[in-house]
Amino acid sequence: MQFESLVAVLEFAVRKEEEAAEFYTDLARSMVQPHIARIFEEFAAEEMEHKRKILIVMTGRPGWIPQARIKDLHVADIVEDVVPSSDMGYQQALILAMKAEKAAYLLYMELSSASEDDAMKDLFYLLAQEEARHRLRFEVEYDEQFSGEN
Amino acid sequence: MTEKKVLDLIRREMPKQPPEVRKFNFNEVAFGYSEELAVEEAKRCIQCKKAHCVQNCPVEIDIPAFIQCVADRNFAEGIRIIKQKNCLPAICGRVCPQEDQCEKVCTLVKKEGQLAIGRIERFLADWEARQGHVDMPEIPEWTGKKVAVIGGGPAGLTVAGDLILRGHKVTIFEALHKLGGVLVYGIPEFRLPKAIVNREVDYLKSLGVEVYTDFVVGKTQTMDSLLEEYDAAFVGSGAGLPWFMEIPGENLNGVYSANEYLTRLNLMKGYLFPTYHTPIKAHKRVAVVGGGNVAMDCARSALRLGAESRIVYRRSREELPARMEEIENAEEEGVIFDFLTLPLRYNGDASGWVKEMIVQKMELGEPDASGRRRPVPIEGSEVAVPVDAVVCAIGNSPNPLIGSTTPGLLLGKKGNIEADEETGKTSRDKIWAGGDVVTGAATVILAMGAGRKAANSIHEYLMGGDGE
Repeated sequence: MQFESLVAVLEFAVRKEEEAAEFYTDLARSMVQPHIARIFEEFAAEEMEHKRKILIVMTGRPGWIPQARIKDLHVADIVEDVVPSSDMGYQQALILAMKAEKAAYLLYMELSSASEDDAMKDLFYLLAQEEARHRLRFEVEYDEQFSGEN
Repeated sequence: MTEKKVLDLIRREMPKQPPEVRKFNFNEVAFGYSEELAVEEAKRCIQCKKAHCVQNCPVEIDIPAFIQCVADRNFAEGIRIIKQKNCLPAICGRVCPQEDQCEKVCTLVKKEGQLAIGRIERFLADWEARQGHVDMPEIPEWTGKKVAVIGGGPAGLTVAGDLILRGHKVTIFEALHKLGGVLVYGIPEFRLPKAIVNREVDYLKSLGVEVYTDFVVGKTQTMDSLLEEYDAAFVGSGAGLPWFMEIPGENLNGVYSANEYLTRLNLMKGYLFPTYHTPIKAHKRVAVVGGGNVAMDCARSALRLGAESRIVYRRSREELPARMEEIENAEEEGVIFDFLTLPLRYNGDASGWVKEMIVQKMELGEPDASGRRRPVPIEGSEVAVPVDAVVCAIGNSPNPLIGSTTPGLLLGKKGNIEADEETGKTSRDKIWAGGDVVTGAATVILAMGAGRKAANSIHEYLMGGDGE
């Protein structure tokens, strides 16, 4: 994967967020249960919010504040993959989301380490940390909702 | 000059079976107070003018009043006072978390001598049972209204008991073959003898509550078709959908949900095979995942079936959500506790039976924004633990059947029915809900409290109010 400029990187990131939002929107439409459809609609809205943050960076305004490495509860690492289906529950929805965020994180980390341009390396790293933050949000929700007695 | 009462801060203990004896049988662990012990304990109550214990009781029992009756040896009046607010006192006296409710705010708690309110409640209920007769209340003339109660657990039984006493016809629809819900399929005999549950259920039936068992609402008949016949319905169908960790190997033979494991034992009486016809496989090494009361019940049951039994919990002892009494009982009986330990996967043998669990050690991380220290894995700490059974006891959601077959019934993210906290009213006309189906798995007394509020609201609605 080759990128000509920082703007190209950010455009790529915007597309990724749009694809994720579309994925969740499609899932929401296919759900049997309205309360699960609403959950995926919320996930889609969160992806659009992530896109908005990237667009702010593209305008040159300060968007992200570089932060320390995001904590990893490793929930996404131990749970099995979920095959999307129309009768999923909230637990499966959260697993699906945290694994998607983890995959995005790993992609950006790989691009960061493969990049020879320092600015691009930093930008990919920043995008990876942002995805890690999203993953942590789902892991914490999972921890709260499905691991209270575990 | 008035005489100043000397505080007695010594909480009277209940006699119990010794651990080395009880771990080999399913008989009730605690014997309950004798009359002398109950009276001694009751006399410790200082009869506070502002009774915080009442405020902290989900069904607002007049606690100081029944305690005083016991101190005066007027047991008949004591049980009468309890039953004004609680139709299941023998059960609540045994399984309610009093240490987090009434006893937690007892004035004597400041000096670590809080009154044993639950034990006295249990004493009175058992005393009444020993008398061989129960005073029957007067049933008013029929109002002409009929109420369907879905689920015969603590919430449903409370609603049925309250509404029959107000003159409505009540029918309970229970999916299993016995009433009692979690009281019969979940809580083991050694913590709650089933004869006690049967006694309470028989009392309700004697009041005229009609019962259909093996009736699965959503399959046998939908909510909407029931409502063609009934004026109102209460859903108290509990939280019967178990969660798994969704880790590899959970589909191996020998990996149970706590619901299945406990149902086989308690409802189907697996431990009494061949007297009862549904055996449970005898395992040698059982690991129970989780740290709540259900996990303790599973681990202590496994022990009684002859297995080496261990609790695997990813946090430390301080965070265990189970009642302290149950934790101490489990420890005394010899349950092994693996704290800060997380199962990663289960491996099976050639026949598809679980043979080991791979676990990872954890440590509690720095407090996050919520102030909680979340467990995080210690890299490279994986070890294999030989097991031939695993019981997953990490929690439950409501069964999705009623939600998915009742259009317009608003559900929360985990499939719980959304209901008004004060009235139990749902988004659907004529439908109320309460207990675990609303809150997720919680306590018996909270379910009863929700049932009571819903019963009040249903009654008001049936008598011409809006029930809001």
